[in-house]
Amino acid sequence: MNGWTGNILRVNLTAKTYKKETFSEEFARTWIGGRGFAVKILYDELQPGIDPLGPENKLIVALGPIAGIPAPNTGKAVVAAKSPLTGFYGDGNLGTRVSEQLRKAGYDAMIVEGKAEGPTMLYIEDDKVEFLPAGEVWGKGTYATNDWIYAKYGKGVGVLNIGQGGENMVRYAVVRSLEGRSGGRPGMGAVMGSKLLKALVVKGTRPIPQADPQAMKALGFGDLKTVGQIDKETGWSIQGTDAILAWCNEVAGLPVRNFRKTRHADAWKIDGERVNAARVATYGCPNCTMRCGITIHDREGRESELDYENVGLLGSNLEIFDLDQVGSLNYLCDEYGIDTMSAGCALSFYADAIDHGATKGDFKFGDAERAKELLGLAARREGKLGNLLADGSLRMAREFGHGSEAYAMQVKGLDVAAYNCKFIPGQALAFGVAAIGAHHREAWIITFELKNTTRDSYGPEKAAKVIELQRIRGGMFEFLVACRFPWIELGWPLDNYPKYFNAATGLNWTLEDMWKVADRIYALIKLHYLREFPQASRKDDYPPAVWFDKSNVDTEGPIAGKCLDLGKYDRLLQHYYDQRGYDERGIPTKELLNKLGLSKEAAAAEKCAKLSERTSQPQAAR
Amino acid sequence: MKITVKLIGPLIYEAGFSEKAITLPGSVTAGALVARIKIDKKRPTIITRNGASVELSDILEDGDRVVISHIYSGG
Repeated sequence: MNGWTGNILRVNLTAKTYKKETFSEEFARTWIGGRGFAVKILYDELQPGIDPLGPENKLIVALGPIAGIPAPNTGKAVVAAKSPLTGFYGDGNLGTRVSEQLRKAGYDAMIVEGKAEGPTMLYIEDDKVEFLPAGEVWGKGTYATNDWIYAKYGKGVGVLNIGQGGENMVRYAVVRSLEGRSGGRPGMGAVMGSKLLKALVVKGTRPIPQADPQAMKALGFGDLKTVGQIDKETGWSIQGTDAILAWCNEVAGLPVRNFRKTRHADAWKIDGERVNAARVATYGCPNCTMRCGITIHDREGRESELDYENVGLLGSNLEIFDLDQVGSLNYLCDEYGIDTMSAGCALSFYADAIDHGATKGDFKFGDAERAKELLGLAARREGKLGNLLADGSLRMAREFGHGSEAYAMQVKGLDVAAYNCKFIPGQALAFGVAAIGAHHREAWIITFELKNTTRDSYGPEKAAKVIELQRIRGGMFEFLVACRFPWIELGWPLDNYPKYFNAATGLNWTLEDMWKVADRIYALIKLHYLREFPQASRKDDYPPAVWFDKSNVDTEGPIAGKCLDLGKYDRLLQHYYDQRGYDERGIPTKELLNKLGLSKEAAAAEKCAKLSERTSQPQAAR
Repeated sequence: MKITVKLIGPLIYEAGFSEKAITLPGSVTAGALVARIKIDKKRPTIITRNGASVELSDILEDGDRVVISHIYSGG
């Protein structure tokens, strides 16, 4: 089976056992890898209703057929499990040498089951798996843990690890790798922590199976150069994603004060120009020639790697406009191994809840020093407040009451990325229907909305754009397992990806073939959701209520007096469902599931909730 | 008339400024304004005026704030 090793490594931490399992060619072609493998394995192996932080949850590390091969931006891995933050399927990807090393060790994925007796590090080298004590670094942050691992094995190994956030099961703890990479926003680090798995180290020595290694080599090295050259010519990585902050501020899309405002006069103090000027070093993932990781010195003099989401949610959204202080908050999140976005949203929600009388406390917007303390309390789950913050904005809102859920900035429990959609309907939809909650990696259509249509349109063209990008970004890039940046940021042609896939597998696929797999994955994630939440409704696909709140509109600037319209949003959502073939709850119909080859999975879902046979017609009347 | 021009991302380094006020004789289009700035005209950009997207043929008005940006895709 060219392109795949054909093997999955299954490790049981309770029994300290492991085995190499094979998978069929049909499984490979149906699910391809990465997110596809993870969705299918977890759907088949997890019972609905299990405790995501219990030993019955499973952690998946999954790669795809081009992962780890020297070609543009293939140094990524998907981590997935039932999410302790959202209560259903959750995943994320991160740059890591695990991508290459696990494939070289002879596996396309691994499944981690059970719970270790004590803090453990898994060491995998080809066919060997060791269960090693990790008590020495339990309680330590991700940087110290990484150094400890490098001291033992050298820098060439693949590493996934967690910090105190994961150990203490902060619901938005991430998995970390290299010096600055994080993945698995919906608490994949907490799942590792619940299993007492501090780290996973991989070393492989075998060749990665490819149908045409010569063609792949020729393509890969040439394209690595090409992508690097485009980056140089366009100057994209001078500011990387940090450039977006200034633009969002200009078009009233910046999160400020828990998303209550969309712009701020001091935003320039933390924008891409300032980040670039303060640059200490530049980092990137393996196999990347457009490195986007810019580090600066934080207030305490440590190197902190900033991208836009970090600065937006730990900076402007908290009204903290000192770049070195934003750097400090970001450093702490990385050291504790907690998601910068959800951590930022938990803090901004807390400050907002105090402002609005939903709770009492001493944290105010703009207070960087107190924000640092609060991150520590959350990571250590210290006291009542630390525990509340560690559970994320939605659970805090349910505890506080007083209508505060309206301004907990999340969808399905996952906090919104750093784009304020108070009056950006299509992107609000993109957050509403993102597979795992309000993640930005699946569809981002703000430029399209402003440039190719009108901002106040709720038309079907916006739903179509969201689906198009979900197929590409949330689908293809997540199952091939590669970074989307060469395409989305530099315009490197999309049809390069089937070329790589075909050189790896010997198949002759087109982009259209990729979309079918993407649609299958999206449908199965919806079934995961339905099994966990049988009362699922279209309201679960609504963005935060505060974006519809007429008393919360901007008083000046490009969107003065405007906010989202609930009735129109609901019709936009229906356009999305109609184009997807989902029913009025936003669940795929049996007709669609059969078409996608998911009739067995549909039958399994029907043990929990009824599926619609087909969409009601005619849709045009809506 | 006076227009404020703000550049985003790599355009700053290409044009040699981040933000400046430009005085123009009479009415001009967004395209005419862009032509005065030293950036690669083949580069895909999004141009906004006071926060809303404009076409190159749109006429600018005194006091407008024009932002020219590389097309970003949300990371």
